Amino acid sequence: MSATETTPIMLGIPTPGARPASDLFQEAERQLNVCNSCRYCAGYCPVWPSLEKTTVLSMAQMAHLGNLCHDCRDCFTACMYTAPHEFDLNPPRIFAEIREDTYDRYIPGRRALRRLPGWSGTIIGFVLAAVIIVLLSLGTDGGALFVSGPQSGSPYELVGHTAMIALAMVPTIASMLVLLVAALRYWSDTNSGSFRGLFDLAAWGPTLSQTARMKHQTGGAEGCSYEENEPSSRRRYAHHLVMYGFLLTFAATVSAWAMATFLGLEPPYPLFSVPKITGILGGVMASIGCLGMLWLKPRSDRSQTTDTMRRADYGLIWATLLLMVSGLAAHLTNGMIAYGPVLVFHLATVVACFAITPYTKFVHWIFRMLAVQKDNVERHAVARAAAAKEKATAKEKATAVV
Amino acid sequence: MRHSRDGAAAAVLDQDWDVVVVGGGNAALVSAMSAHDHGARVLVLERSDVTFRGGNSRHTRNIRCVHEAGTPYNTGAYTFDEMWKDLCGIGTGPSDEELADLTLRESISVPAWMTAHGAQFQPPLAGVLHLGRTNTFFLGGGKALVNHYYRTLRSLGIPVLYQAKVTEFEFDGDRCTALLVEHAGATHRLRTKAVVTASGGFEANIPWLAKYWGDAAYNYLIRGPEHNDGLVLGKLLEAGARSAGEEKGFHSVACDARSPKFDGGIATRLDCIPFGVVLNNRHERFYDEGEDIWPKRYAIWGRNIAYQPDQIAYAYWDSKVQGMFLPPMYGVFSGDSIGAVATQLGQDPEAAEATIAAYNAGVARDASGRFDPAGKDGVSTSGLAIDKTNWAQAIDTGPFYGIPMRPGITFTYMGVQVDREARVRREDGSRFANVFAAGEIMSGNILSSGYMAGFGMTIGTVWGRIAGREAAIHVRD
Repeated sequence: MSATETTPIMLGIPTPGARPASDLFQEAERQLNVCNSCRYCAGYCPVWPSLEKTTVLSMAQMAHLGNLCHDCRDCFTACMYTAPHEFDLNPPRIFAEIREDTYDRYIPGRRALRRLPGWSGTIIGFVLAAVIIVLLSLGTDGGALFVSGPQSGSPYELVGHTAMIALAMVPTIASMLVLLVAALRYWSDTNSGSFRGLFDLAAWGPTLSQTARMKHQTGGAEGCSYEENEPSSRRRYAHHLVMYGFLLTFAATVSAWAMATFLGLEPPYPLFSVPKITGILGGVMASIGCLGMLWLKPRSDRSQTTDTMRRADYGLIWATLLLMVSGLAAHLTNGMIAYGPVLVFHLATVVACFAITPYTKFVHWIFRMLAVQKDNVERHAVARAAAAKEKATAKEKATAVV
Repeated sequence: MRHSRDGAAAAVLDQDWDVVVVGGGNAALVSAMSAHDHGARVLVLERSDVTFRGGNSRHTRNIRCVHEAGTPYNTGAYTFDEMWKDLCGIGTGPSDEELADLTLRESISVPAWMTAHGAQFQPPLAGVLHLGRTNTFFLGGGKALVNHYYRTLRSLGIPVLYQAKVTEFEFDGDRCTALLVEHAGATHRLRTKAVVTASGGFEANIPWLAKYWGDAAYNYLIRGPEHNDGLVLGKLLEAGARSAGEEKGFHSVACDARSPKFDGGIATRLDCIPFGVVLNNRHERFYDEGEDIWPKRYAIWGRNIAYQPDQIAYAYWDSKVQGMFLPPMYGVFSGDSIGAVATQLGQDPEAAEATIAAYNAGVARDASGRFDPAGKDGVSTSGLAIDKTNWAQAIDTGPFYGIPMRPGITFTYMGVQVDREARVRREDGSRFANVFAAGEIMSGNILSSGYMAGFGMTIGTVWGRIAGREAAIHVRD
């Protein structure tokens, strides 16, 4: 614990667990050996059936199990061996540590960036983005938006369409490349170098469906044991609001770009248009979801996660909330003199957030989804083998009859 | 936590109750809910704190009930006749046929009752499929079940006082008038109209076990909580309750000798025995390691080891079978020779080598070709003083492995005698008017020896339901 407290936190993202990876591996192995000797949790989520398939665990398998875990914590409440029992099991925490290790191990640049202390990187990025936007604005049209307020209501009064696209695209593309590399490295390691499963379309069906429903976070039939260790669906609903709200605002951005670029439709768009409806609805949904998560978080058991992961969770929730609220504020202040500064704030937030994405908790879904895909690929393989065996037996019987 | 942190917690000890339930495991919680359902004001006294609440029930995982057809949670029917036959086939059979018959009949409605009171089940999963037809599995196991019941208690408004220890019963003739309860450093006199004792057996009371087993008892591991010391059972017997069940009756399995003395539960049991051979500390084999498949072999080896000198035994196997069974949680000892493994286990390497060599000499030449871990393969040794009758391959391919084992006691059978209404019987043949018993404390009425997986929970649920109901009816009338 003391190591966690003294390690500087970079960009509000988790530094890897307090212990070095080898210690983490040993502790995870110790705990999962007890789990493998018990197996009472097999009905909760795919982590436990997946663990049962192996008697010797590798670090890559640990990474798979850690990311397959959706932190519902039902296993913890069902466990007879949690502290103060001398076995001292705490799967949610050990899996959180493994996930931190995953992010650290597979996302390029993470270790190097960790040298930046605290939130300074984020703040520097934000200020830098804001300055660039203001300079661009002053350089292109003399900052008319700040002086005389919005005229047409188009955000492109601040910075021209192309410049704004470029401003947003550069960090986005850079982040996407980093995450692509991370995803491929992770998949390769957890699948012994084979990429076949990544193209198993039959497995992607359930993977997408399970992700869309956050199936593995439902825990036992009554929801996850997050809030006060009592089963409830609140956390999942809050997450749904954030996830779908975020996707809607993303759709708003893309649709606005497409309308301007391909259809030649310049903003401002009417209230009943795709960008406005998706943007406002998504912004409100995600804001409510974030507030819900901020309400839930202090009510969850701190011992079942790490301090760094907890801070990273808060970082992501606050960043998302800031994105959403500033976006909504830009919508509401349009036409007022405040529009200019609010828009600068929102755009700088967008740029900064997109730039640091690979180094925040935002990445969690990539590894989780890949873990779910691997799990489904393995299930399909087992089902196919069983079907083939059945077919062979049937054929054998038929031959025998003949 | 909320219950025990509640400042009013101790205030419940100053009130008059219809029914006080002593215990916090399955039978106790079922008794409390049942009494509540029949209109009684109920208080539950649990000896443990919140984390370790639930007694032995927290280590259970399924229940065995009669079902005349398959269910979403069972792969097929398990008829009354079949279960009765199973019950008669274990140990010395049912202790009291009338009460055993009642238990099985009542079990039919148990799963639905459990669901109505918050329990959740799961379909049988890999590894326990052989029990999937007869037994119904709790989603998440026994502690999860107990958590569900405590949640139901809270929603019903039944208070639970944790870390409450019942030290004395006060009687007026055949009627219990009050209990002395230790809680938070003070002793309270608690008045009640009826008591349900559902406080388990005495397996964690080593001196008590030693009365019947001698010093051997000090070498036993106790798989459940340390609180199961039989305090309440002892007080009832002192007050003139008639005992039921064998004094030496207990269920035990082979556990890793490195396990904690108490509360190791399911994770420390070992499954390696049929894949190798077992030596006692005189380096002798003493029982047919290939006698039977799981779960029967599971239940006999605790007792087998309990009868060996110093109550310890050592399993040896080789790399041919390594990985075919559950990996022991503490890992295994390994070496390039049997002697090297024996040394690590604290055995004499030469003597262990000699015994394994003698065993290997009795193994059939084609044993490895016929070996089949999926079922009894009939691959037997011949000409040995104790033959291994199944899965008898030579132990000849390094690296070699070994593990030390001790008996792990799950529960004891001796308890108090009850009638059909779960009323505790007295030595003189009469009954206590308002003292009832459910669960392990009265399991000796049904079974005295041997073991049937999931049946302890059947007894606890069936008799908890009866005891709670009858206690409430007693109060009402």
